[in-house]
Amino acid sequence: MFRKKKRTAANQKKNEEKNRITHEAVTLDLLKQVTAKMDDAEIVQRQTNNGVSFSLVYIQTLIDKERLNEAIIQPLLQSKEQTFIQGISTCSVLRIHAIEEAKEHMLFGSVLIHDHEKNEWWAVKLENSLSRAIENSETETIMYGPKDSFTERIEQNVFMIRRRLPVTELKAEKFQAGSNTKTQVQMLYIEGIANPDIVEIARENISKVNFDLILEASNLSAFMDDHTHSLFPQFMQTDRPDSCAYSLGLGKIIILLNNTPFALIAPITFFHLFQSPEDYVHRWVIASFLRSLRYFSFFIAITLIPLYVALTTHHYQMIPLQILYVLMESRTKLPFTPFWESVIMLVIIEIIKEASLRMPTKTSQTIGVIGGIVIGQAAVEAGFASKVLIVLVGISAIACFLVPNYLVTKATTVLQFLILILASFLGILGIAFGLILLLAHLNGLSSLKQPFFAPVAPLYWRDWKDLFVRAPLPWAKLRPEYLKTVKKWRVSKGEGSE
Amino acid sequence: MSSRFRLFDRTAVMGSGYIFAMVNRMQMLYYVLILPKHLIHPYMMAGILGVGFLSQINLLILAKYLTSNYFVLGYRGFVQLFSEKVVRLFAILGIFFILIKVIVTTLGYVEIVHQFMFPSMKTSWLIFVLMASGFYIASQGMEKTIRLSIIGFLATIWVILVYIPYFLPPIAETHHLYPLVPGEVSLHSWYGLLMVWSALSGPEYLVCLGPWIGPKEKILKGMSIGNALSVFEYLVLFVACLLYYGSPYLEKISFPVVNMIRYLQSPVFERVDLILISLNMIYFLYLIALFLLCLYGAIRIAAGRINIKTNRKGFLGSVIAVFICMLIINGWFWREGEELNVWVTLQLWLGAITYLLVPSVLVIAMRWKRGRS
Repeated sequence: MFRKKKRTAANQKKNEEKNRITHEAVTLDLLKQVTAKMDDAEIVQRQTNNGVSFSLVYIQTLIDKERLNEAIIQPLLQSKEQTFIQGISTCSVLRIHAIEEAKEHMLFGSVLIHDHEKNEWWAVKLENSLSRAIENSETETIMYGPKDSFTERIEQNVFMIRRRLPVTELKAEKFQAGSNTKTQVQMLYIEGIANPDIVEIARENISKVNFDLILEASNLSAFMDDHTHSLFPQFMQTDRPDSCAYSLGLGKIIILLNNTPFALIAPITFFHLFQSPEDYVHRWVIASFLRSLRYFSFFIAITLIPLYVALTTHHYQMIPLQILYVLMESRTKLPFTPFWESVIMLVIIEIIKEASLRMPTKTSQTIGVIGGIVIGQAAVEAGFASKVLIVLVGISAIACFLVPNYLVTKATTVLQFLILILASFLGILGIAFGLILLLAHLNGLSSLKQPFFAPVAPLYWRDWKDLFVRAPLPWAKLRPEYLKTVKKWRVSKGEGSE
Repeated sequence: MSSRFRLFDRTAVMGSGYIFAMVNRMQMLYYVLILPKHLIHPYMMAGILGVGFLSQINLLILAKYLTSNYFVLGYRGFVQLFSEKVVRLFAILGIFFILIKVIVTTLGYVEIVHQFMFPSMKTSWLIFVLMASGFYIASQGMEKTIRLSIIGFLATIWVILVYIPYFLPPIAETHHLYPLVPGEVSLHSWYGLLMVWSALSGPEYLVCLGPWIGPKEKILKGMSIGNALSVFEYLVLFVACLLYYGSPYLEKISFPVVNMIRYLQSPVFERVDLILISLNMIYFLYLIALFLLCLYGAIRIAAGRINIKTNRKGFLGSVIAVFICMLIINGWFWREGEELNVWVTLQLWLGAITYLLVPSVLVIAMRWKRGRS
């Protein structure tokens, strides 16, 4: 108890000290101390035509140096007015008082101006607007439809969304995350469509993030996830503004971070991870077929190799005679059990996949060839793996990539190994155990406190129109039920019927 | 961590879809696999329909309680209706009933797996895996466990379609369906009807799920559809068994519903029964989880700890206790190969009694309460 009291007193003292520092008035000496050993920080002293002396404090790597001269130095030098700050033509000029305020502005690309005569401090936004151009999305490529993708600049990203949704109901709330990175976060939603409870949950979750480095979207989602230990992402990441605009229109929330080209979309369901923007470009029958193919591929990816192990280890009686001949012939001289044979081949495939991802593009193609042909062929000839397994590993490796979400692709790999272990112990029953526990796990997950396995559990029949099949767009007159949106109808005539 | 372990929280009310799925899957548990062997005669088709009708009447009585305000209040509703002492007494009785139901269901399924899939495997391992999985599902809480009913239903309902080939020539032998009118009614036939009644039991456990299911108007609808579908499935399976085996052979074969699937031919897999047995595990696991939660709730009421927060240790302790009971019964008292052993027979009677008495007692108590006030 005594220790607790002591700790409370120490915390109180710490807070008081922090408050004192935060509210301490900004002075040139203090700023000199702050910028000590920062070689890119500059403190410049000049005089106006009237003889009023002023100082400029800035970090040259963060500001637009060309504009510094024309927008600040020249107007100030030529200023004849007593309050010379009025001569600055830049749009954002802010009066500052405390040292913490000064530091924050300086670190976000402002030039601090000190009027020696009146002892006033001003911050003028002159951020270096260096950014790459808007390019095609590399992670979610589509044949038809918009090609632009997000960049690292949050303003540009918000612009790309606003351009698609020119409505005043589109709200963008600002937050800051990361005690060291001070990353600007913006939460976008359409007021009057998005459920206010979900918006409040998201707002609360972002505000609660307490960490030093929030460098990219995954860092933030890690703190906002309802279930930290799950294999499945509870926020969808996208770099496509059209996907964001579509999600906003449905009543979801978008979270954008500065310095990252990926937006977070929530709440999502398991089934969203299988949807591609191109689903809404294709004819609905084709889109439905492709979507079904993705679910089937996911199922194949996690069960094909375990099924091989289950059948060859426990249930030979399940294999029809003709297939059994082929299998037996292929496995006769192998030194490993089906389980170890599969584990070795799967690990090799994973190594090849990882290597081809990390290598430069041209090298990765070579690795693909070496991996696919040389290792596969060599493994069979050396007697380490059966021909049947090589075929199955190939199919399952390709099936993995049919899921549009890369994070799910990686989760698939881990799931495959887990089910493989269960299959080696319990055969078909083990696979069933794995799948049932997977379903139970998915049923227990949530995204921003909304059920992750909706519209299957909880059951929303109406939302099945955009689940395994993608029904024609004119049929999708209502927003997803699981989002509990304020406005239910997507067509104007129905608004009155709510 | 323990503060986040909430088993009986409620964030949403589950609608008629869940009630329908729960009632149907509860009624399709274990006995459906052995029932045709004990019905034997074609005229028992009428018996299934008749008992199904009685079951519907029973559900009407049950719905009277489920649509009352007592039901919505859950435990407090029971206390208002009876008294705390009586509720604790009922909880102690409930522990016994649920325990036997969980044990017989699990061991019955384990026996099927042992007989058809892994004859050389020690059954204790299978029991352990089932209980561990049941614990995992149940530890997500009552709401999510109830939600799983839909998944369990959708994952297994189509299995009935696998039996269609047994209705078609050359497998189907229509003369096996005669006589439709009984020449004489034996004691065995009455016992068969009791089995059907007991097999259709399960919906009475909905009384434990007061806070989670609703709205009132849709409860009876959900239960009725669930019951009708169960009766239909029982009929389909019984007729399929009759058409395939015929009465004389049907009474000699164990687990006829599972056995007949063995003979289905498929170009990709043989022994389709192994896949179906594994698949059926989903609703066995779901119901084990649901009953484990009910059991834990009953233990808390009986121990007078209803106002204390649920905790992982307590729940794990109760699951381990069930597991130990199961191991003991499996090791010393369960006679494999004899489908209607003493435990299955005990559950047969207990199921029939609970299904008959629970709705009636509750409605009588409500009437009595109304009369007094």
